[in-house]
Amino acid sequence: MLYPLVLIALAAAPLALLARLPGRDRIAWGLALIPLAIFGLTLAQAGPVWEGGQIVERIAWVPALGLDLSFTLDGLSLLFTLIITGIGTLIVGYAGHYLGADSGLGRFLAYMMLFMGAMLGLVLAGNVLTMFVFWELTSVTSYLLIGYKHDYADARRGALHSLLVTGGGGLALLVGLLLLGQAAGSYELRDILAAGDVLRAHALYPAAVILILLGCFTKSAQIPFHFWLPGAMQAPTPASAFLHSATMVKAGVYLMARLSPALGGTALWDVTLAVVGGATMTFAAIVAMRQFDLKAMLAYTTISMLGALTMQIGLGGKYGAEGVATNILAHALYKSALFMLAGVIDHECGTRDLRRLGGLRAYMPQTMVITALALLSFGGIPVMFGFVAKELMLEAALETDLGATLSVLAVAAIAVTAAAYLVTGWRLFSNTFLGQRSMAAMQQHVTDPVPGMLIGPGVPAALSLIIPLALLGPISGLIGPASTAIYGKPLEVELALWHGVNTALLVSLGAIAVGVGLARFGEQLANMRGWPAWSRGDMIFDRLIERTLAGATALTRTIQEGRLRRYILVTALAMLLFVGVPFASFGLGAIRFDLDPQLQFYEVLAVALIPVGVLATILARTRLGAIIAAGVVGAMVSLLFVLFSAPDLALTQLLIEVLSTVFLLLVFSVLPVRFESFSAAWVRRRDAIVAAAMGLLITGLVLATATNDAFAPLAPFFLENSLEKGKGANVVNVILVDFRGFDTMGEITVLFIALLGIYGLLRLRQGKNDVAPERVTTAEPAAEPVDTKR
Amino acid sequence: MHRNESPLPNRPPSRSTPRDSALYDSLILRTVSRLMMPLLLLLSIYMLLRGHNLPGGGFIGGLLASSAIILQMVAFGPKTARRILPVNYLLLAAFGVFFGAIWGLPAMVAGLPYMQAFWLPEPIPGVGKIGTPVLFDIGVYFTVIGVTTKIALLLVEEPSLFPLPAMKPAPVEQEEGA
Repeated sequence: MLYPLVLIALAAAPLALLARLPGRDRIAWGLALIPLAIFGLTLAQAGPVWEGGQIVERIAWVPALGLDLSFTLDGLSLLFTLIITGIGTLIVGYAGHYLGADSGLGRFLAYMMLFMGAMLGLVLAGNVLTMFVFWELTSVTSYLLIGYKHDYADARRGALHSLLVTGGGGLALLVGLLLLGQAAGSYELRDILAAGDVLRAHALYPAAVILILLGCFTKSAQIPFHFWLPGAMQAPTPASAFLHSATMVKAGVYLMARLSPALGGTALWDVTLAVVGGATMTFAAIVAMRQFDLKAMLAYTTISMLGALTMQIGLGGKYGAEGVATNILAHALYKSALFMLAGVIDHECGTRDLRRLGGLRAYMPQTMVITALALLSFGGIPVMFGFVAKELMLEAALETDLGATLSVLAVAAIAVTAAAYLVTGWRLFSNTFLGQRSMAAMQQHVTDPVPGMLIGPGVPAALSLIIPLALLGPISGLIGPASTAIYGKPLEVELALWHGVNTALLVSLGAIAVGVGLARFGEQLANMRGWPAWSRGDMIFDRLIERTLAGATALTRTIQEGRLRRYILVTALAMLLFVGVPFASFGLGAIRFDLDPQLQFYEVLAVALIPVGVLATILARTRLGAIIAAGVVGAMVSLLFVLFSAPDLALTQLLIEVLSTVFLLLVFSVLPVRFESFSAAWVRRRDAIVAAAMGLLITGLVLATATNDAFAPLAPFFLENSLEKGKGANVVNVILVDFRGFDTMGEITVLFIALLGIYGLLRLRQGKNDVAPERVTTAEPAAEPVDTKR
Repeated sequence: MHRNESPLPNRPPSRSTPRDSALYDSLILRTVSRLMMPLLLLLSIYMLLRGHNLPGGGFIGGLLASSAIILQMVAFGPKTARRILPVNYLLLAAFGVFFGAIWGLPAMVAGLPYMQAFWLPEPIPGVGKIGTPVLFDIGVYFTVIGVTTKIALLLVEEPSLFPLPAMKPAPVEQEEGA
């Protein structure tokens, strides 16, 4: 049973609101049992997956569309599920401490649970459409998390950027997935993965790949879409730790890894991933090295690692698959620890600016040890898990099938990145814990936080050391099936610390040596002149948003300028263009003129009076004349309904006529007594032409439907079944409330919305609320009867 | 053909209708509308209930009921109309939509498509056959009453429709929004 894993997390969201009660940190740890339970439930049923099998389950969702909710648990899903729930457990507990003083903790944890559910659904989905639904859900819930401190403009901006970039990429992804499904003949992941050869030869392949990659690159913050991720650091630290270590941003990597057996193996896929990933990795590593904000530093190293993962998927091969799986786990462990530690430091010292920190080793010794562990793994120092992962990355670069040039470039990029990581790590550590006691440490009584707050970062940091020393066997059992899913063919994985002296080790040691050497000059590197500000991309994006909004405003002003006549003109023109032109081109033949309607003279009279009334309305020079003439039209239409035995319609029409007259009466006094022409002559001519064309169009459409029996007439069905199935003798009413009841439902909803619109127009205008009707009344005591003179 | 919506330049400067007085001050109208009010409301319910078999239904019934209320408004003014039937018409309209929508749900509980009809086996004396479509029609009835009456009240209580003095002459318009 896989879907309960997702449901539990989603259903637990309201429960999180309990965290408004006192004892918040304990409640948060209680809530952390939920992801822990999902973790346990996953392990309990994962038996076949360890053997390389998979669990598949389907629930009919929209059977009419052939849309099923299907879920699959295989090696890759298992790896992600365990990371999401495992790290999730720690972060939910940690958040209780971090946001303990914040009244919004309940809301925050509810978002976290929703996000976790969406993320679990994404990695467990067995159908690309199911997956897409959860993909979008992660975008929406992460928007809520990033914008949690919504009273800060920067938080709103960061959240909006993240939503627009990932949401826009999501649109591309949807089209890409649809193309993929079309090409493969199925939306089930299993079928798509089995159809690799067909897909790669398919005409839609390039388009599908480009669109899917757009979705993945935006989600996983690859160049040039990387700028939203540092902006997303406005999220409270627990959310950053969760979104950017283990989950949200890995979604793009997950999808690329998931689809690489089916789509990989072509230059388009492999080279694009390797080049974009490699460039992102190196660029972001160098930018990270030069940051002064702890979280910004971590954000850029995250972008860098996402690039590394993307690159490895592109490099492919056995080591590529193993490297992706191992790096995902290693990164999730050390990066979640580092984010939580950054939160601890920020929480205790009130700043996370490296220039204002320092000398904390005497005050926060436990925090320092945990940070050191996580940083050693991050830097890829031997015996840490990060080292094992980096070795696999180097192997992937050395063994790639993409040619010697790319191989050498990839190895060089990894070496540069590894050295930059060391500088980054050293700067982070030395500026925080070593050196002079900082102002922040002196001003506040800085100590290690409560033990509960160190559990969160402590566990993953410790695992980064324990796994390579003691747990490589069981972890290989987890990495193996995951690599198999990425590789597409069964892989036996034996992770090891020591592979003998080989090229990878030498490169790795060389990079470490360079990194250690450069670390001494870390501050000089950071203070060097950098790239111009525009290279961050977020300013450009801001301008893009502004331009788009300005364009939309201009368009709205043109089409919806606020005068009724303009709206009517635009509506009529649009209808003439989109209905009239096709009808005139193809539909005129449907009108038949050879009918003999056998009209009675009184019918002719009623019909003939309608155009007379219309003309009289148009030509009337006084308001009363116009109203009376319009009434004639309504009365004649009612009469026609009576003549054609439609008493319901006649009744309705008459009542509407009465009410319209009353409504006209209400605005009577503001209508001009005598009409005059204020518009220019050509405007009136233009409007006359548009009006006449609309009249012709509607007449033609009615004639075409009424005189043409190309469609089986519906009337007999209603007449026969009204009494029997609808239990009513009044066919019109039975159609309204039963046969076509859903239409009526829509109509009353529209009526209500129209009322809300009118209410808004008349009552909620700006500044309107100051003028109470009573005040106006007292100001205007003269009760003057409405003017009725002609 | 364009007619200018703006008031004429030569309007008298002060011409507002106080909102607590009748739109037409007429003894005949007051007397008739007072007598007609209950009759019209009864007629509207009658029309609503007989609608399934004879001309009528929620739409017609609703229009009838709101004309009864609007008649009060014309004869006595909106304040009196509100006092006679102290109803929040905005809420009534919302309730109508809600009430109409929920009677589609029983079918879904039974695993049938939304709005599939259910009927009581025996007609109720004096009311007729009762089923979910009839109840849905009652939702329509309330929506129509709420929407129509509220729009009328909004219009008649709108100060800018019965504007303050010193209306400037409307500028002669050459072309709109070129």
